[in-house]
Amino acid sequence: MKANLWMGKRKVSVEQVPDPRILNARDAIVRVTSTTICGSDLHLYNGFVPTMQRGDILGHEFMGEVVELGSAVKNLQVGDRVVVPFAIACGNCEQCQLGNFSVCENANPNAWLAEKMMGQPICGAFGYAHLTGGFAGGQAEYVRVPYADFGPLKVPSTLTDEQVLFLSDIFPTGYMGAEFCEINPRKVIAVWGAGPVGQFAIASARMLGAEKVIAIDRFAYRLDLAVKRAGATDAINYEEVTSVQEALMDLTAGRGPDACIDAVGLEAHGTGVEYAYDKVKQSMRIEFDRPIAVRDAIMACRNGGIVSIIGVYGGMVDKFPLGPMMNRGLTLRTGQCHVHRYMKPLLDRIERGEIDPTFVISHHMKLDDAPRGYDMFVHKRDNAMKIVLNT
Amino acid sequence: MNEISAVRSELSAREEADATGLIRGLGWFGVTLGIAELAVPRLLASAIGVDRDGAAPAILRAMGVREIASSSAVLVRPDHPAPRWARVIGDAIDVGLLGLALATPGTGKRRLALALGVVAGVTALDVVAARRRGHARHPLPVIAAVTINKPPMEVYEFWRRLEQLPRFMNYLASVEQHADRRSRWTARLPVGGTVSWEAELVEDRPGQALSWRSVEGSQIDTRGRVTFTRPPGRDMTEVRVEMQLGMLGRSPSLELARLFARPQVKGDLRRLKQVLETGEVLRSDASVHRLPHPAQPSPARREIPPSRVFGENLPSAAKGVSP
Repeated sequence: MKANLWMGKRKVSVEQVPDPRILNARDAIVRVTSTTICGSDLHLYNGFVPTMQRGDILGHEFMGEVVELGSAVKNLQVGDRVVVPFAIACGNCEQCQLGNFSVCENANPNAWLAEKMMGQPICGAFGYAHLTGGFAGGQAEYVRVPYADFGPLKVPSTLTDEQVLFLSDIFPTGYMGAEFCEINPRKVIAVWGAGPVGQFAIASARMLGAEKVIAIDRFAYRLDLAVKRAGATDAINYEEVTSVQEALMDLTAGRGPDACIDAVGLEAHGTGVEYAYDKVKQSMRIEFDRPIAVRDAIMACRNGGIVSIIGVYGGMVDKFPLGPMMNRGLTLRTGQCHVHRYMKPLLDRIERGEIDPTFVISHHMKLDDAPRGYDMFVHKRDNAMKIVLNT
Repeated sequence: MNEISAVRSELSAREEADATGLIRGLGWFGVTLGIAELAVPRLLASAIGVDRDGAAPAILRAMGVREIASSSAVLVRPDHPAPRWARVIGDAIDVGLLGLALATPGTGKRRLALALGVVAGVTALDVVAARRRGHARHPLPVIAAVTINKPPMEVYEFWRRLEQLPRFMNYLASVEQHADRRSRWTARLPVGGTVSWEAELVEDRPGQALSWRSVEGSQIDTRGRVTFTRPPGRDMTEVRVEMQLGMLGRSPSLELARLFARPQVKGDLRRLKQVLETGEVLRSDASVHRLPHPAQPSPARREIPPSRVFGENLPSAAKGVSP
C-alpha cells in the first residue's frame, strides 16, 4: 500500500510499504477514505518530538471502511464506516473506566519509555512517535486499528466524510479545551491560536454558551475565519498590538479573561526578546518547548480563573510563571484529548446541525500530495487551514 | 485451591518462621554468653565450679571470643549454614573443656555437671538449627509492582496455574506443573539456548500470596514471592513481586538486583495486567520486532514469532480463569 512516511526533519515521502495485518484478536484493518494533516503533525515534521524513526507512517486523524476484523471484535462488521480516535485505549483499565482514555494503562507497548520521559506512561497513539507505542499512522491506504471493539465510532451514511472526520481529534480536542473552562454566559474566554484546534475551541465555547470569545493569532486569514465562522466576538493580532496583555485588559475592562485556552503548544511564535530567548534555547536543545502562549495565558487570566492547555507540549520548559499562577489562584487544566468521551455526543451535535465542522477545511488533496501539503501547512501558504487528504 | 493445601501452606510457612526464630535466638544467646565470658570470666568460673584464680578465666575469655565470632556470623547470615555449623563445632569444644574440668580434682562437680547439661542442650538446638534451611534476615526486595483492575482471587488463580506464566513472562519457554507442589521451569537465554530448573511452592495462600524456590541442586538458584492485596476502596489487586535472582549470585546487593531485574519484572507485570484486563498482550507495528523498527507494517517473516509475544488466542483470559 501507499503511505506517507517521516524521513527526517522537514522531510516526508509517500512510498510503498507492506499492507498491515491483524496482530491482535481485537484488531481491525480499516481502508482509509479520508485523513488529514494535524497541527501536531507539524511538531513531528519540524523534528521537535523525540523517538521518531525514519520510515514511521504519519497520521492520527483518519476514517474509513472496515475491511478485516480480528476474532475478538464482535461489534463491527466488514463494510462498516468508522471514524477512529487518535488515542488508542483499551476500555478495560481503571483510567478508561474513569473516562481518562488518553492515559489508558494498557495501550502503549513502549510504556517503559514513556514512563522514563514523563514519569508515568501515556496511552498509545497512531503515527505519533515511539513514545506512544510505535503504531503506524493513518496517512496511508490502510491502517491497523487496535482495540477496534472499543475505539472506532460507526457513522451514518447521511453524513459526509468531511462532516465527521474531525471527530478523530481536533473537534473533541477543541471542545475539551472549552469544557475545561466551565463555561457560562457571563464568562469571557480567550483562545490563543486560531488554527483548526483553536477554531473548534472557539466554536465549542460559543456552543457551550459563552457570549464573549476572543481569538488571538498572527494571521489575519485565521482571525477572519475565527470571527466569521467559528463565532469569535473579538480578535487580537499579536503582531499588530503593542501588548496582548494590554489588549485583553482593554477588552475586559481590566478584569482579564475568566478562562484562557492555549491551543498553540510547543512551537509558539511571539515577538521580542522573550521569543528570541526560547527560540535559541529550543534550537540548542536545552529547552524542549517554547511556552510563550501558555505564559501569556497565565499572565492575562483573571484572578481565580482557569487556564486550559490543549496545545501539545513535550518536555521541560523555562520561565514558567508559577508565582503568578499560585498567588492569583489560577486553576490549570490540561491533557491529551480523551477523544472516546466526546465522539458520540459531538456526532449527535453534528447530526442536529448545531455545528458544521467542515468550516475549517481549506484544501483537498490526494494522499500522494502529502509532502506538498506539509510544506504548505508549515509555511501557512495559500491561507492553509485544514488540509484533507483523500486516498 | 482446596482447604487442605491452604492448611499445608500455613504449616510450612510457620515451620520456616520457627527455624528462622531458632537460628536468630541461638545467635543472640551466643553473643550474650560471649560478652559475659569476656567481661566477667572470674564470676562465671565460680558459677560453673572451677578455680576463679587459676587458668580458667583466660580460657573463658578465649571461649568468649570464639562464641561472639560464630554467633555474630549466624546473625549476619542466618540464611547460610556455615556459621551455624561453626557454632556446633564450638559447642563440641566447650563440652570437651567442661569434661576435662570435670575430670580435674578440686572442681565443683555438681555445678560442672549442671553447666555440661546446659551446654549439651544448646548443642542439640544448634545441630537442629544447622540442619534447617534458614532465611535471610530481611524480607526479599520488592522488585516491581502493578495494580490490576480485577479482584485478588482472580489474579491469584491466574498466577497459580503456573503453566500460564509464559503468557506474560516472555523469557520463559514453558512451565510444567507436576502433580505435587513441584514444577519444571524452562527459560530462554538471551544468548540462545535454554536453561531449566525445578521449583517448589513453599507458600500458597489463595487470594493472598504465593512463594516458590528452586529445589536444591538446581542449575538456577532462585527464590521469589508474589503477593496480592486489595487497595482501599477498590475491587482491584496490587501485585508485588519479591525476588532473589540466582543468576546474580547467592545474595546480590539490593541495588544490583533491582537494576537488572526491575525492568524485566515490570514488563512482565505490565503484560500480566494487559492479559487479565484486556485479554491480550498488545502489539504495535514497531514492538513486534526485537530491534528498533519504524512504525510501519512489515512482511510476516521478519517479526518475532508469535510464541514469544503472547497476543493471540486469549479470548477467555479477560473473563478470568477458573481453577
